[in-house]
Amino acid sequence: MTEATRTPLLSMRGISKRFGGVEALVGVDLEVHRGEVVALVGDNAAGKSTLAKMVAGVLTPDAGLIEIDGVPVTIPTPAAAHALGVATVFQELALCDNLDVTSNLFLGRELRDGRGARDDERMEQVARQILRDLTSRIPTVRVPLSHLSAGQRQAVAIARTLIGSPRLVVLDEPTASLSVAQTAEVLVHIEGLRDLGLGVVLISHNMTDVRSVADRVEVLRHGRNNGSFDARSTGYEHIIAAITGASRAATPRPVPLRS
Amino acid sequence: MSTTTDVNVPSPTPPGTPRVPLGQRLQGLGGNARQYGIFGALVVIILLFQVLTDGKLLLANNVAALFQQNAYVMILAIGMVMVIVAGHIDLSVGSVVAFVGGVVAVTMRDPIGLPWIAAVLVGLAVGAMVGAWQGFWVAYVGIPAFIVTLAGMLVFRGLALVIVGETLAGLPPAFIRISKGSLPPWLNYVGNMDGVTLVIGALAVAAIVLTQVRARRSLRRHDLHVEALGLFVTKLAAIAVGIGILTVILSFSAGGTPIVLVIVGVLVVAYSFLMGRTVFGRHIYAIGGNRSAAALSGVSTRRVDFWIFVNMGLLAGVAAIVTTARAGAAIAAAGQNFELDAIAACFIGGAAVTGGIGRVSGAIVGALIMGVLNMGLSILSVDPAWQMAIKGFVLLLAVAFDLLNKRRAGTQ
Ligand SMILES: Nc1ncnc2c1ncn2[C@@H]1O[C@H](COP(=O)(O)OP(=O)(O)OP(=O)(O)O)[C@@H](O)[C@H]1O
Ligand SMILES: [Mg+2]
Repeated sequence: MTEATRTPLLSMRGISKRFGGVEALVGVDLEVHRGEVVALVGDNAAGKSTLAKMVAGVLTPDAGLIEIDGVPVTIPTPAAAHALGVATVFQELALCDNLDVTSNLFLGRELRDGRGARDDERMEQVARQILRDLTSRIPTVRVPLSHLSAGQRQAVAIARTLIGSPRLVVLDEPTASLSVAQTAEVLVHIEGLRDLGLGVVLISHNMTDVRSVADRVEVLRHGRNNGSFDARSTGYEHIIAAITGASRAATPRPVPLRS
Repeated sequence: MSTTTDVNVPSPTPPGTPRVPLGQRLQGLGGNARQYGIFGALVVIILLFQVLTDGKLLLANNVAALFQQNAYVMILAIGMVMVIVAGHIDLSVGSVVAFVGGVVAVTMRDPIGLPWIAAVLVGLAVGAMVGAWQGFWVAYVGIPAFIVTLAGMLVFRGLALVIVGETLAGLPPAFIRISKGSLPPWLNYVGNMDGVTLVIGALAVAAIVLTQVRARRSLRRHDLHVEALGLFVTKLAAIAVGIGILTVILSFSAGGTPIVLVIVGVLVVAYSFLMGRTVFGRHIYAIGGNRSAAALSGVSTRRVDFWIFVNMGLLAGVAAIVTTARAGAAIAAAGQNFELDAIAACFIGGAAVTGGIGRVSGAIVGALIMGVLNMGLSILSVDPAWQMAIKGFVLLLAVAFDLLNKRRAGTQ
């Protein structure tokens, strides 16, 4: 790959974070290049979302260095992340049920007209355009989020990453509640982002999705890097082994409650 | 129906399919259906008391008095609805009214003896500072607003007692006119009707029709969804008739347009714009709907919280000026239960206890519903004790009705 020799779009080195007694991340490295989809996988509580939230400006690392396009950055707030060209779909979606689709799409980054006033009309036009392109099954952009299904809400969350031309898109389990058809659509969408030259971090538990769209798979285990694999050439079982930390996956046994 | 222009509506119902039930259609109007409901309740209550009082309710001087007596609730309810939408509450506004009233009176009287305009500005500044104080604890320290403003209720009542003692009377007549006066009769009378009032009413109707028509035209130009033409015209006609009737009645009153009505009117327009059309307003709703989502989206929730309380303090300052002018004196016990009046107005006006929902216009209508109840019951010489009980029931019924409606509509 020629990109590998260039400056990575995102470079995280030696990232550590602890929450009280929990070591969520210990010296984690992660690199994402332009036009590359990096899947971040790992067991529950491996630290994937914690890492994503650092790029999104929600959490700050205790130690380590973050560089974007070779420039060392601190990302103290979500607004700072947005200014740096990072767009994130959070695992918890981060949508306001009382606001309509348009308001949610532009929340925190509302468009203003020439006089600095909120430009509702332009926002609604852009919202309709985006949702049409995503062929989402959302009836109108004026419907409040509380009226949408889980899948529709997830579509809105993904659509948010299209606002304001980002360089890096972080998706934390974006297909968790999507139908087969919609999941396929999101995967196509991710490929579209890659073709546009964006960097994508995809966090997912679904190995089929990961292998169909990712270029590289990074495994986290107990907050540490536990292997980096070429998505296409590496066998399924190798990745699973790195995730579980064993070549033979332990089978959970029922625990007898009474003897 | 103007479905031809509704580009973003799925596909228009093919002919022959069953009609959408009314409930669903109303739901399609979004928050508007609820808003219309509140207006409807106000109209019903006005008509009810108009009949019960043999037409005394809408006598010119009673209508003028209605605004003069309830201006403080409306002013406080505007700030309170913003506080409530953001998911907070403010229990201190009554005490703040007494405190700021004391400050204003002290600055106007000897030995300070500032001109009344200067005293008014001092009062507004002190109100905003009180708000900043409470906003600091809520937004930056993270103490729940209920606790901060409960403390504020005690603190500022105490400070009011310290400043005012019992009563500070003898305020300048120009200051007292703020609440008791009306706009001067700059124009001639038309028959018995005050020309100034008629002109203001006509201008208000013209301004509303013009802005609504322009907004609608702009939506259509951008190919966006607009409400059906029939509904739009009906709505505008209802507004025009309502303001027209109010104008004509007021023009027969002793003074014409009360000055406080102008103050309230300006505040309603300004704050409706702030809540409905600005980024700051959008962020208030977002915070009330889902605080952590707003924060993750890059809304600076602390800054918004802080300014909401600064604004509440400022409006409490306005209410203090109006209240002090009306009493003609600063009284340490002033503003008792004002916080409850304001909170009740917001909830009657459709604000949600959980935050995220509520409108300035709703809060104003809520305040008017309570004001009409007060006045109607007083005209009927109902015992004040019973008046209180009845108002309590109305608050409970209004919120219960709202909840039932919401459940039936299937939202949340
Ligand atoms: N705000 C927090 N406070 C305390 N502990 C936290 C916090 N956020 C995460 N943790 C802890 O950090 C660890 C990593 O959590 P994280 O959410 O990053 O896992 P994850 O890999 O995203 O898991 P999942 O696949 O279940 O989403 C967990 O042990 C979790 O309990
Ligand atoms: Mg996670």
